[in-house]
Amino acid sequence: MASRALSVWQNRQVVDLLVKRDLKVKYQKSILGYAWSLLDPLAQAAIYFFVFGILFNARVAPGGADAPGGYALFLLSGILPWMWMSTALNDASRALITHAKLITTMKVPREIFPLAVVQTKFIEYLLTWPVLLLFVVVLGGQTGWTLLWLPVAIGVQFVFTLGITLLLASLNVLLRDVQRIVRIMNRVLFYSSPIIYPIHQVMGAESLPGWFKTVYEMNPLVGIFQMHHAVWYPTEAPSSLMLWSTVAGAVAMFAVGYWTFRRLETAVLKEL
Amino acid sequence: MAEPVIEAKGLGVKFAMNRRRKLTLREMFIHGKKRDPNKGSTDFWPVRDVSFEIARGECVGIVGKNGTGKSTLLKLIAGVLIPDEGTVTVRGKVAPLLELRAGFSDDLTGRENVHLVGSLHGMTPKMLEEKFDEIVDFAELREGYIDKPVRHYSSGMKVRLGFALISQLEHPIMLVDEVLAVGDKAFRRKCYDAIEKMLANNRTMVLVSHNEGDLKRFCNRGFYVKDGTLAMDTDIKAALDAYNADTKAEIEAREAKAKKKAEDDGKVA
Repeated sequence: MASRALSVWQNRQVVDLLVKRDLKVKYQKSILGYAWSLLDPLAQAAIYFFVFGILFNARVAPGGADAPGGYALFLLSGILPWMWMSTALNDASRALITHAKLITTMKVPREIFPLAVVQTKFIEYLLTWPVLLLFVVVLGGQTGWTLLWLPVAIGVQFVFTLGITLLLASLNVLLRDVQRIVRIMNRVLFYSSPIIYPIHQVMGAESLPGWFKTVYEMNPLVGIFQMHHAVWYPTEAPSSLMLWSTVAGAVAMFAVGYWTFRRLETAVLKEL
Repeated sequence: MAEPVIEAKGLGVKFAMNRRRKLTLREMFIHGKKRDPNKGSTDFWPVRDVSFEIARGECVGIVGKNGTGKSTLLKLIAGVLIPDEGTVTVRGKVAPLLELRAGFSDDLTGRENVHLVGSLHGMTPKMLEEKFDEIVDFAELREGYIDKPVRHYSSGMKVRLGFALISQLEHPIMLVDEVLAVGDKAFRRKCYDAIEKMLANNRTMVLVSHNEGDLKRFCNRGFYVKDGTLAMDTDIKAALDAYNADTKAEIEAREAKAKKKAEDDGKVA
């Protein structure tokens, strides 16, 4: 494992090149380029704001509608990192297949292809930050020491996403149905994490049984998105129990993903 | 003698044929190899029980019929397939000329592709910078084409650019898979010269080819691969002779069969 990590590190330049290539290809071909990667999350945020914020008139932002930033900022601070996760998941299943030619002709650590996917999407996420900051200024969002949640959230999310990507990339070569499952999984994960609603709506709901809430909290994504929200809404900061279970969940996901990847490698190479 | 640069011990790789279905997730994770649902299916070993040692500076030609595992063997040495049996140890970096167009993304320009694929093969940016003009020159691209997307290249251009790039690698081991068969006559000549130059540096080469001329020209040792096993490990001439003898016998057998069939048909009529 250590030697593999080392050889991935030695090939970090290649990862950078793959990332650059993907970004270049994506932005070169369309006129709007960069704007596209913003339009999608913004449109989503606008829709949810319209439906939940206006039609249902739900005072769903933590601290009520008068909290600095309001529901709009709450939505954005959840949806932007979610886009990173969800686009990575979408590309994950194709990470190895699209590079079949490269993989079957030269010896590079195969891990770099899933890694490049996660990194590409991460950079796209970083590129959405100027827009988020614009909204923060306009909506009057406030932060402070809570900004420290951000690097933690990003770090944990990176590990978690990489784990899933490794798992899906290798599985999909052998079982092509994975691609379809991912689409469903994407939607389920979206609604089962506190992205567009604050967590207290689940935890405070009387109609939900206690075991459901426990299961709900075990999803590492819950902790990750709580941290993303906590940057702007201090009340959302995860408890230390949730924080550690999230970190543990992400590390476990990575371990499972990596183990599967290594285990399937022999078969994957034959199949490609 | 010094340590062999390529060393294979009991090398084998298997592909499953006539598989009904792939493993389910549960079987894959819980039972491992013990309860394989494909037990009834036949395993096919394109390469099995192959052992050899290749010393520095040797040039080995691999001959054999189509589908007997020559290319698979090369892939195992290159490390792009993981063996199911045995081991292969390669001491030193490998320049694989397995498929030359490989790795070029259609949407990127020739220049960007050279940088991407070059780095994948372990070239440093500095090396690429230095060799870049030489590569473009060798590839004989038309004026300005290097900055056009590879999508617009002809297949010949892609291959030329690929060969130009890989022939610049300074790795001590080269694996070549019939790539010499591409390109027009003038370009082939150039490839030969480039390969000859590379061999002069005491580098090791493994060549898979059907072209006797190529093999005799470069190789001093020959492997005759038959049904996935190493039937002969001698000098190139003996290997070629054995291969030709087998081919001849086979053709004769086929002709005899055809003749017999014709006679039988004649009788019926």
